Amino acid sequence: MAKVLEGPGMGLMKKWGIVVPNFVVISSADELGKLGDAHDWLKKSTLVVKAHEALGSRFKLGLVKVGLDLQGAQAAAKEMLGRQVGSITVSQVIVSEMVPHTEEYYVAVKSTREGAEILLANCGGIEVESNWDRVKKLAVEVGDTPSPGALERLAKEAGFSSELAPKVADFAGKLFACFDSEDAQYLEVNPMVVPASDGQLVALDAVTLLDADARFRHPDWDFPFAAEFGRAYTKHELEVMAVDSKIKGSVKFIEIPGGDTAMLPAGGGASVYYSDAVVARGGRLANYAEYSGDPPDWAVEVLTEKVCSLPRIKHIIVGGAIANFTDVKKTFGGIIAGFRKAKGEGKLNGVQIWVRRGGPREKEGLEAMRALRDEGFDIHVFDRHTPLTDIVDMALQKK
Amino acid sequence: MSILANKDTRVVIQGGAAGLNAARRMAEFCYMIKRPLNVEAFVYPPDAGKTNEVPYGNGLLTVPVYKTVGEATAHHPQINTSLVYIGADRACAAGMEALNDPKIQVVSMITEGVPEKDAKLLARHATKLGKIFNGPSSIGVISAGECRLGVIGGAFDNLVACKLYREGSFGVITKSGGLSNEIIWICSQFADGITTAIGIGGDAYPGTDYVTYLEMFEQDPQTKAVVIVGEMGGELEERAAEWYGAKKRRIKLLAVVSGFCQESLPKGMKFGHAGAKEGMKGEGSARSKADAFKKAGATVPETFGALGPAIKATYEELVKSGLVRPIPDLSPEDLPKLPKTVEEGMKTGEVMVAPLIKTTISDDRGDEPCYDGYPASELINKGYEIPHVIGLLWDKRLISKQEAEIIKRIMMLSADHGPCVSGALGTIIAACAGIGMSQSVAAGLIMIGPRFGGAVTDAGRWFKHAVDNKMSVDDFLAYMKKTVGPVPGIGHRVKSVRNPDKRVKELVGYVKGLGIKTPHLDFALEVEKVTSSKKENLILNVDGTMAAVLVDLGFPVDSLNGFFILSRTIGLIGHWVDQKRQDSRLIRLFDYLVNYAAPKRREVPPLK
Repeated sequence: MAKVLEGPGMGLMKKWGIVVPNFVVISSADELGKLGDAHDWLKKSTLVVKAHEALGSRFKLGLVKVGLDLQGAQAAAKEMLGRQVGSITVSQVIVSEMVPHTEEYYVAVKSTREGAEILLANCGGIEVESNWDRVKKLAVEVGDTPSPGALERLAKEAGFSSELAPKVADFAGKLFACFDSEDAQYLEVNPMVVPASDGQLVALDAVTLLDADARFRHPDWDFPFAAEFGRAYTKHELEVMAVDSKIKGSVKFIEIPGGDTAMLPAGGGASVYYSDAVVARGGRLANYAEYSGDPPDWAVEVLTEKVCSLPRIKHIIVGGAIANFTDVKKTFGGIIAGFRKAKGEGKLNGVQIWVRRGGPREKEGLEAMRALRDEGFDIHVFDRHTPLTDIVDMALQKK
Repeated sequence: MSILANKDTRVVIQGGAAGLNAARRMAEFCYMIKRPLNVEAFVYPPDAGKTNEVPYGNGLLTVPVYKTVGEATAHHPQINTSLVYIGADRACAAGMEALNDPKIQVVSMITEGVPEKDAKLLARHATKLGKIFNGPSSIGVISAGECRLGVIGGAFDNLVACKLYREGSFGVITKSGGLSNEIIWICSQFADGITTAIGIGGDAYPGTDYVTYLEMFEQDPQTKAVVIVGEMGGELEERAAEWYGAKKRRIKLLAVVSGFCQESLPKGMKFGHAGAKEGMKGEGSARSKADAFKKAGATVPETFGALGPAIKATYEELVKSGLVRPIPDLSPEDLPKLPKTVEEGMKTGEVMVAPLIKTTISDDRGDEPCYDGYPASELINKGYEIPHVIGLLWDKRLISKQEAEIIKRIMMLSADHGPCVSGALGTIIAACAGIGMSQSVAAGLIMIGPRFGGAVTDAGRWFKHAVDNKMSVDDFLAYMKKTVGPVPGIGHRVKSVRNPDKRVKELVGYVKGLGIKTPHLDFALEVEKVTSSKKENLILNVDGTMAAVLVDLGFPVDSLNGFFILSRTIGLIGHWVDQKRQDSRLIRLFDYLVNYAAPKRREVPPLK
């Protein structure tokens, strides 16, 4: 799942005929002044300025300012840009017109196993959270399109007046078209409002999650996906991602500050079981990592270097199930090279390394790992006869 | 017995290199269970019309590649299953093509990174047609003793270690490929092994869910228990638990779920498979899934590590109740074996091979070439040069500095002799005809023979013969006249006593100035005295001089032409590059350079 920020999210909705407020995304306050000459609405409307970053609770952080004129917006933008929140630097703000309204509504399209579900409520904002029973749903099977009649019935069921229901149905239909055509996984408009000025429904705020795997058929997705962690990716994380995008198979790396047990396991399935075992034994994870699909040894080496660079770690868990086709000797070769490099740089002092693995060329791979003992590594190597997560038990001395 | 894949499964593989690799793994399994290869065809438009080679036992099978699934099933009407190894951008179309083929009942997709919408469309289409769509991102399906689809099960040794050559009593359903193999191993060590193991893929919306397969396992009398390896995210595990708890089931169910670590991680931090995503309201968490399984009456070990003992307990219960009869293990010598490759057999000392060729000069098997045992880099670092390498590779000895200097001078003197000589002309004509370097240089080298540059060996041979047999110059010349003909190394087309060859003078002067013993050179010079007095151009030529000097240095007679060939190659390459640089045009002889001595034009008589 890939999150898309408000600006590009609104852009996608607009593409499918949904009315969104005027907005611009800017990265300097001066830019906004210049845009004011080009866009009349910036001078005439009351404006709202929001930090355009993947941050939660922006309101609390003072990263949302409302009721501004252009000058006020410039001042707000100046204040927000460059602000550091955790690991994220605010590098963009979105400036949009405020749309005066009285009622707020909720509409969303959610992916389901069978296709999608359209969710509709005649309340919106934070009210919908506490009134989930007022949300009415319409299931749409993949490949199908909801009929205007069905959407209108849904709107009426959700309590919209017979005057508003056709408009809501039309809006929901467009949101579904956007969902279906843009390979979305989740689209939410909250609130959807009727502006005081005219009767046309407007999407005031949008949540957009797209299927990153479908990128190949959307050449117009010219925006980056946002980190979903509520924080920016770290330098090491980005470096591993860059490697990942270049190779057959995959390598993944996410840092978890404060942990002392580093993970370097194989396989998307087993790696989570290893993480579970650490947590179950009262350990504190220092990262999540995974290599799978028989990646090249140099990619595993890069991953290993990042794992060895984690601060204050006591253990490294080099776990893995019995591989189907990942070459154990080759991938371990990458890990060993990474270990040697780290040791050469003075890392890994007092760090215990725990290894368990099976698969093609397991004997040679495990033998090479075992030989690291002679080079002064504190390494403990086990084969397929030791159950998967027992090395975690041993590392954390519960067994 | 088994589900989904069995003895009657016949496969078409849609895909290129990855598909072929899978076929090779599948062939290992077929060989292990002594059944014919179950892959009948490939579909891969870029290779349509070709065939793929699949090793089977100690032979190679040839499997045809077709352009469409329709062609494959028309030629191989037994095909009922397709494995899709086509890239994510074309996987949907490939899967649809297979599903739409009336012969195909099961489609398993291995491709990773398939858009969710495509996976849903494929699943819906399969349901509509009453067929099975497994995957995407599926590692495959394996039914012990019957059928393997994909690379699931790993290398041959692992197949044997996991006793996959005969059926057991446990069904396995997993999202993770690596863990499917782990569970197969555990079932073989803690119980009697598996019936069928299915990888459904780790995507958010697997084409076929646990429930469908649980229902199939329930109908398979051989399967007594099923192990599910679940993950947080989605609701497939909950649906499986619901199915299990809905009524009394014949099969026992064991389940583990991953993702408990999520509870203690920063909110929003997600990892693992694409499908391993907790819902916004906590649904699909590992805990809710594990609880659902427990509530439904399934065995739910606390950790993955506890799964082995749980499987063992279930197995022992089954044995006790008489539902399962233990299968005695095969003795090691009865276990299936894959024929060894020659390399493997040699490594273990089981095979002796009579070598095809023998070398005594060089070895490339280490991290760098060794010349007559000396590593190339060490030679470089200790100051040795090209002539020393020649000495090692041509005469298997480390020559002295002095000898190296002589060789260097010989090479410098004979590197080129202008464009007119046979060799250079050959190369230039070829270069002008647009021929590549190696062929053009070869065209020049072909000219080297008795009349051009190729007399070094013969000259050396006869000078050596004379010196070895202590012949006088007169005896030698008489002997040559009687048995050989003109003396090789004596005589020049243009040079003569009055127009001496500077190269010869230079070389002779240098070698004589060293004060070393040169019996062959001395003899050759004596010969020259006699022959040149008879005829002016019967001088010792450059071939003869080189030959005499090199024999004096101890080089074997058969290597001597090599000095001219090697040196002149430098010049020939130069001529080719020169013509190339000038972008020279095609050349041909002018007819006035030809003496047309053929019969005059005349009438052709009637054919008799």
